Amino acid sequence: MSTSNIRRLGRWRVAVAVGAVAALALSGCGLNEGNDSGESTSGDGSTVLRIGTTTDVSNFNPLQSLSKTDSWILNAMYPHLLRIDENAKKAPELAKDYGYEDDGKTAVFNLRDDFKWTDGQPVTAEDVKFSAEKIMEYKLGNVAAKLTWVESIEATDATTVKFKLSQPYAPFAEGVGFWMSIVPKHVFEKAGDLSKFANDSDWVGAGPFVLDSATKGQRYVMKRNEHYPLAPEGKAALTQVEYRVYPDVNTMMLALRNGDIDLMGNPVPASAAKSFDNDDKIEMTKVGALGFAHLTYNMNNKELAKQEVRQALSMSVDTKAIIASVLQGDAQQMAGPISPIFSEYDNTEIQPYPFDPEGAKAKLSAAGYTDGNGDGFFDGLSFGVACDQSNANITRVVQLFRESAAKAGIKLENECVERNTFLARTKSGEYDIDASQWGVFDNPMDQLRSTYLSSNPGGINYNLLKSDEMDRLINDAAGTTDQAAFVEKIKNIDKVVHEQAYLTPLYVENFQFAHNASKFTGFVASPSDLLGMVTAYSLAQVKPVG
Amino acid sequence: MSAPVLTEQTVPPTEPQVGATRAAWRDWLRQPSALLSVAVLAVMVLLALFAPLIADEPGGTSADVLQPPSGAHWFGTDDLGQDIFAQVVWGTRTSLVIGVAASLIALVLGTAIGLVSAYVRGVDAVGTVITDVMLALPTLPLMIMLAAVVSPSVVTLTVIIGVFAWPEVARLIRSQGLVVTAMPYIDGARVLGASGWRIVSREILPAVVPLMVVSVLLTASRAVISEAGLSFLGLGDPDSWSWGRILLNAQRSGVVAIAWWQTLFPSLAILFLVLSATVAGMRFNDSRDPRRNGG
Repeated sequence: MSTSNIRRLGRWRVAVAVGAVAALALSGCGLNEGNDSGESTSGDGSTVLRIGTTTDVSNFNPLQSLSKTDSWILNAMYPHLLRIDENAKKAPELAKDYGYEDDGKTAVFNLRDDFKWTDGQPVTAEDVKFSAEKIMEYKLGNVAAKLTWVESIEATDATTVKFKLSQPYAPFAEGVGFWMSIVPKHVFEKAGDLSKFANDSDWVGAGPFVLDSATKGQRYVMKRNEHYPLAPEGKAALTQVEYRVYPDVNTMMLALRNGDIDLMGNPVPASAAKSFDNDDKIEMTKVGALGFAHLTYNMNNKELAKQEVRQALSMSVDTKAIIASVLQGDAQQMAGPISPIFSEYDNTEIQPYPFDPEGAKAKLSAAGYTDGNGDGFFDGLSFGVACDQSNANITRVVQLFRESAAKAGIKLENECVERNTFLARTKSGEYDIDASQWGVFDNPMDQLRSTYLSSNPGGINYNLLKSDEMDRLINDAAGTTDQAAFVEKIKNIDKVVHEQAYLTPLYVENFQFAHNASKFTGFVASPSDLLGMVTAYSLAQVKPVG
Repeated sequence: MSAPVLTEQTVPPTEPQVGATRAAWRDWLRQPSALLSVAVLAVMVLLALFAPLIADEPGGTSADVLQPPSGAHWFGTDDLGQDIFAQVVWGTRTSLVIGVAASLIALVLGTAIGLVSAYVRGVDAVGTVITDVMLALPTLPLMIMLAAVVSPSVVTLTVIIGVFAWPEVARLIRSQGLVVTAMPYIDGARVLGASGWRIVSREILPAVVPLMVVSVLLTASRAVISEAGLSFLGLGDPDSWSWGRILLNAQRSGVVAIAWWQTLFPSLAILFLVLSATVAGMRFNDSRDPRRNGG
């Protein structure tokens, strides 16, 4: 008897739960209304900037590999030698300027003398030397690969640091300058093995803000550094910056509209940009990208190792339609692997493969492929397309790619999986076609080295390409010190990759960031969703309205 | 309370039993709530069967992005301009296929384990422990873990959901089977020299069939919720439409607040399917309750 009653109860519980889900869905639409005005004016001239982020900080050690939220928070604490400005150019940060000596075999940074750690100590060349040496010693993060050629580092005085290289490498100073975090030697040297140092309390930084407290899953509170020379008044106008965690972007957008946060750290999805159309307080800021979306072909696959097959696949993606729908037109199509952001290096002679399923079919027929069983697909041409299912745009791209490739007689299987599974498969090479997005390339040489060298120094040679010709072309370009010749060599590699169709570059998207313009102003947005509105420099310039 | 009575009905000779079963079915469908839920289920099945005749398979892109419901798009459109109505109709297919197939897996496993446990004492001890352990496991996290490891497809999802749903069926069937096993006619069969297989399949199994009908409905509705849940978490089959995937698309593209139609209609579809399956199952159980039938 009791079992039957319990079971009955259970059934009602199911019914009630389902009803609640539906009610939630309904209330979602209710939230859309009556929210245009009625701003919750705090009126106290509050100078706390609240920023929404979708993920927690997973690592507080700035010398290691960082997720997006990690780098937002840590970049506001630890200075870099250079930053990327709003025009995607390197600009001085801790370094006043930099140059090369000794025929390009020594890189010299001249530092500012007015940066101070929050414990009162000045930031010196010793800190830079210490940071770089520890990265090399423990092979920390992605910067370790950029320091490959360093033979020795010398701090000649408090504001001069010299990197002696084993061979000239043109983008060395820019790459290291932008990526490397400078940490306080007097704090970090006490920690011992820096590959195991958590750095999760008692923070000492020299950026405009320094972490004060961290509550996982909720908020990260940063206090102002009273000495930050890049802020207009010698210190930031904001007294506090607070990151709040909203795992769901829909909730974050509602929080911004309701005034619970003042800025979304993550970009607003293209499809949802309309959300703020009728909201006067919210201002959208558009920036470019430093990476791009791409389809990369695994060369270990017998069929994908053939140039014709890769070219046919490139002709089966309707990139223009993808840009028009998935990105609402807010992106730029690419031809070769060099992004148009690097206008100097982008080979404008090459054209994207046209969307031409019939042409692709003809190319495959000419290459000897047939459809023996008459199912509309070429025999033996069936590939899985791997992607991270949490990336909204890429999953849509794969869905459309699968449909358009079917028209060309190529059978694709959508293998968009949970993020960690995807990363594991990418690492072990278990995919045919990799659909993903590269986040930030700060210069084309580093990009080509990490994506095409057979030694795979950056770990992102998703082609698993082992080509002597490509190795030779890339190494040759890397050692070229004459700028004009260097540009020509990059342009040539751009062309070779395009002809080989090692990858199908898709688009460089624009990101849109939303902030509450009725409360704060003065953001200096840099390109990419990694930098966006929340760089140290940008936060230091922000002031409250009125 | 209904359990012992259920067996009493199965004990008499064949004709009255069939008569009683038929009466129960009639009685079941005579209740308005049961009839209505069966009608809803029938409509869903028809939608699933004739999906290609009702709407084109959703695909491609169009310029009508995020349009609210209208004559041209009954349930509105999503951020690619695809028709939500077509997605819901095609989603019915996946949801029903997974619901039915997973509940059949659960039913076959659950009935087999339940019946054997009920009849063979030695198996019972082990079977009960396994069932208890399975019932104590947090199934959703486990399903998420498994679905993340294997490549998501309709087949793998069905197997995962079915394999995690059997213990409840097994427990139900076992408790009923224990009662039947103790009945004198089972002893009679044994005296007549019937084999264990014959007793379980010919004597005990028919006595638990009504219970199986109820569990199919309830397990299927749970399976539909599980499938929607897994798809919403991005662990569904990316190549086939399902209600959970429509919800996931809305959530992932950040349009939950501006495109209510994209979440409302698939949610309603889940609500109607689960509610009607649950009500139909409950009413079927009730219709066999002698208190209602006057003995």
